Amino acid sequence: MLKIRKRDEPWKWGALVVFLGALLFSLLVGGLILAGHGKDALHALDLLWQGSFGNAWALEGALLKAIPLFLCSLGVAVAFRMQIWNIGAEGQFALGAIGATWMALTFPDLPRYVLLPLMFIMAFVFGGVWAFIPALLKLKLRVNEIISTLMLNYIAILLLDFLVFDAWKDPASFGFPMTPEFTPGAVIPSIGNSGIHWGLFFCVVVGFGLWGFMRFTRLGFELKASGEGARVAKYAKIRYGMLVLFVMTLSGGFAGWAGCIETSAVLGRLQGSLMVGYGYTAIVVAWLARLEPLNIAFASFLLAALRVGVENMQLELQIPAAFGSILEGMILLTVLAGQFFLTYTLERRQGGE
Amino acid sequence: MTELHFTRPVPVRAVPEGTRPVVSLKGITKRFGKVLANDSISLDVYPGRIKALLGENGAGKSTMMSMLAGRYKPDEGTIEIDGQSVRFTSSKDAIAAGIGMVYQNFMLVDSMTVAENVLLGQEGSLFINPAEMEKRVGELARRYSLDIDPGARIADLSMGERQLVEILKLLYRESRILIFDEPTAVLTPEETGNLFKALWNMTEQGKSIIFISHKLEEVIALADEIAILRRGRIEGELDPSLIESKAELASRMVGKEVLLEVNREPVETGRTVLEIKSLTGLGLVDVDLTVKRGEIVALVGVAGNGQKPLVEAVTGLTRPPVDTVFIMGHPWRKFFAESTWNRSMCYIPEDRLGLATLRNQNLVDNLLLTTRKGFAKGLWLDKKRAARDTRELIEKFDIRPGRIHALAWQLSGGNLQKTVLARELYRQPRFIVAEQPTQGLDVSATEEVWNRLLEARSMAGVLLVTGDLNEALQLADRIAVIYRGQILGVLDTADADTPSKIGPLMAGVID
Ligand SMILES: Nc1ncnc2c1ncn2[C@@H]1O[C@H](COP(=O)(O)OP(=O)(O)OP(=O)(O)O)[C@@H](O)[C@H]1O
Ligand SMILES: [Mg+2]
Repeated sequence: MLKIRKRDEPWKWGALVVFLGALLFSLLVGGLILAGHGKDALHALDLLWQGSFGNAWALEGALLKAIPLFLCSLGVAVAFRMQIWNIGAEGQFALGAIGATWMALTFPDLPRYVLLPLMFIMAFVFGGVWAFIPALLKLKLRVNEIISTLMLNYIAILLLDFLVFDAWKDPASFGFPMTPEFTPGAVIPSIGNSGIHWGLFFCVVVGFGLWGFMRFTRLGFELKASGEGARVAKYAKIRYGMLVLFVMTLSGGFAGWAGCIETSAVLGRLQGSLMVGYGYTAIVVAWLARLEPLNIAFASFLLAALRVGVENMQLELQIPAAFGSILEGMILLTVLAGQFFLTYTLERRQGGE
Repeated sequence: MTELHFTRPVPVRAVPEGTRPVVSLKGITKRFGKVLANDSISLDVYPGRIKALLGENGAGKSTMMSMLAGRYKPDEGTIEIDGQSVRFTSSKDAIAAGIGMVYQNFMLVDSMTVAENVLLGQEGSLFINPAEMEKRVGELARRYSLDIDPGARIADLSMGERQLVEILKLLYRESRILIFDEPTAVLTPEETGNLFKALWNMTEQGKSIIFISHKLEEVIALADEIAILRRGRIEGELDPSLIESKAELASRMVGKEVLLEVNREPVETGRTVLEIKSLTGLGLVDVDLTVKRGEIVALVGVAGNGQKPLVEAVTGLTRPPVDTVFIMGHPWRKFFAESTWNRSMCYIPEDRLGLATLRNQNLVDNLLLTTRKGFAKGLWLDKKRAARDTRELIEKFDIRPGRIHALAWQLSGGNLQKTVLARELYRQPRFIVAEQPTQGLDVSATEEVWNRLLEARSMAGVLLVTGDLNEALQLADRIAVIYRGQILGVLDTADADTPSKIGPLMAGVID
C-alpha cells in the first residue's frame, strides 16, 4: 500500500521532474481529448511537434512569440516576488504599444537610432504609469491590486480601440482599424537575414540585467527581503511603500517594452490584432518558472512553441482555437498540482501495523 | 532566584522492578544534508515517569522528538512501542500509537471554546451537542486535575491555559506518552507551577512524560530521570537526586564549567537614549520611562499587559502619539526619518522567525537584512565582505551548524537567536531593545547573551523586556513593572526588598 508522507528535506531535481511530468501528462490528456473527437491523436501530436520544433521556420515562429511573453512574464515575476499580484500585464502591454506608437507617429522622420530609443522610453513610461496607478491606489486607499490591475486591462484595450478606430486611424486603410504603417526608422530590424529581430537581443540584456539587479544591488536585496512580508520589511526599515511603487513601475515598464517590440518589429503599426493575451499567458509562465528569470526564458519559449504548434494543428485538423488555451491551462494546473510532490512523497508502507 | 511554585510530592520515583519501557529508541540516526542531527541514539521511556531531555542549542532534542512524534523519519534505527517495532509515516500514526506532542506554537482555533477545540477533528464529534462536549472535556480535566473551564473561548485564555487545552487534546486522544518541547518558555512562574502539578498527576495515572527544557532548576525539581544530549549523541543519563547543584548539571550538559552567574559591575550612566513621556493610547496608560546609556532597564509583567504595544511604538513598528516617545534625544518621527544603520537603535524581537529573520534565506542575507547599508557600495552590495563577516560572526558566537548557506528556518531555536543577536550587536547600537533575549537558549548561550548585554552598556542603554524575573534581577539596574498598560512602579535592583515587591505589582496589587 502507498502512503503519503512529508519530505524531511526538499527534493533537489523535483521542480524539473514535476514540470516535465506535468507536460507529458497534459499532452497525453490533450491527445485523449482529440481522440475523443475522432481525430488521430498520434498524428495530431506529431503535427504539434512539427509545428513547434519540427523545422527552422517553426522554431523561428516560437522564438518570435517568446519575446513579448518573456518580457511580460519577467515583469509579472518581479511583482509577484514581492507578493504584489499584478495581473495587469495585458493592459500595460497595450499602453506600452500606445506609447511607442505615439512616438513613431509624431516623429516619423527621425533617424532610427533616435526614434527607437524614444519609443522604448515612452513604452516604459506608459506601461509603468499604468502599473503605478494601482500601486498608488493600493498604498493610499488600500485598493486590492488584483482588482485594479484587472480593471485597467479593460480600460487599456478600450483606449487602444479608440486610437485605432478613431484618433490615429490611417485614412488610407480603407476603413480598417489600424494606424498608418511605421516609417523604417520606427521598425526594429531583423538580425541578419533571419526572421528574428533584434528584440531578442534586448530580451537577453534585460534578463541578465534583472538577474544581476536582484542579486547584486541593495535595492534588489530589499525587494527579495520584502517578499517575506510587509512586517519584516518594516522591521528592517525597508521603505516598503516606495518599493511597491518601484516594483510595479518596473513590472509595467517591462510589459510596455513587450508591447513596443511587438508593435514595432512584428506588426509595423498599431492595430487590434496586437492583443492576443500575452499578458495573461505571462502569468502562467511566471508561475511555471517559479519566478526565476532563467526558468522564465525557457517557459516562455515552451509556451510560445506550444502556441505555434497548436496553430499548426488547428490549420491541419480543423480543431477549435480553444484547444490551445485548454492545453495551456492544463499544463499550469498539473504543474501546480504536481508541486505537491515537492513537499510530499509517496512510499510503500512496510512491516509494522 | 525565581521561586519555582512547585515541589515534588514524593522524591524521585524508582523504576518498579520488572517494568518494561513503553518506548525504546534503538540506534536512531538522523541527518539533514551534511548535518548529523542525531547520532545513533538509544533511549528508554518508562510508564509513570517524567524524563527530562537536556542539551545545548542544536544538540538535536527537537529533531529526536519530532521523529518520535512521526514528523520526521529516522535514517537509521528503530522505534519500539511496547516492545513492537513501529514505523510512523505521519503524526497521525504516532497519535494512534499513543504518542502526542505539545508544540511551542499552539494549534488552537481562537474563536472556538476549549471543549470544541479538544474535540475538533475527532470522529463523530460533529454530532455532539455543546453541553455534552463540555461535560466530557470537563470530566477529563477533573480526572487529571487540570484547572480549566471547558466552555471558555480560546481567545480569552492566557498562554498557560492554552497549553492546558493542548494537553487536554492529547489526553482525549488517549496519548500515553506526552512530549513537551520547552513548554515553560511562555509561562509565568505560577503557570509553570500549575503545569508541573498537572504533569505530575498525569504520571501518577500511568502516563509517561518527556520534557525538554533549558531551565535547569525546573529539570531538577520535576524530572525522575535526566538524559543529556550533546551534539546529537546521548551523553549520559542522570538521577536528579544525585545532582548537587545547577552548576554541576550545567557543566555535565555543556562539557565544561559553567558559572550560571554574571558579574554586574555598575557602569557610569550617560546620555538619555529613550524617554517616554506620559504616553497614553495604543493600549497604554500614562507611561513614563527613561533609559540612559550605561544602564539596563527591565520591563516585566505578565504577558499581554502592554509590553507589546510599548515595544512596537519604541521600535517604530507602530506610530505613537506626537511628543510622547523620544529616542536618543530626537522626537520619534525625526529619529526614524534620519536613523542610520549603525550606532543607533537596534531591536531584538521575540518573534525570531517571523520578524527578525528571512526564513527562506541564508545567513548572509540574514546578516544583510538590517546591516545592508553598511555593505552598500553605491547601488551595489558587497556580498563578499558580507559573507566574510557572516563567517566571522558564526565563529565568534558559535552558531551551529557553522555554514553560511544554512537557511534561517533550518536553525534550531537557540542558534537562530544567536544569529539575530550577533547581527544586531554588529551594528554597534547605542540603544538596544531586547525582547525575551534568552527565551529558548541553553545555559551557556544564556550566559553569553547576558554578558554581551552587560558589555553593551559601555556604549548603549538597554530596554530589556522579559518574562523571566531572574533575568531581570540579574541584569537590570531598574525594573519597571507593567500591568494593564500602566507602569505601576519602577524598582531599583540594588534595594534588598525589590524581589519581593515585583510579584504583587505584576498582579496589580499596590499597597
Ligand atoms: N529541517 C532541517 N534542515 C536542516 N537542518 C536541520 C533541520 N532541523 C534541524 N536541523 C539542524 O539539526 C541540528 C539539531 O537541531 P534541533 O532543532 O533538533 O536542536 P535542539 O536540540 O532542539 O536545539 P534548541 O535547544 O536550540 O531548540 C541543528 O544543527 C539544526 O540546525
Ligand atoms: Mg528545539
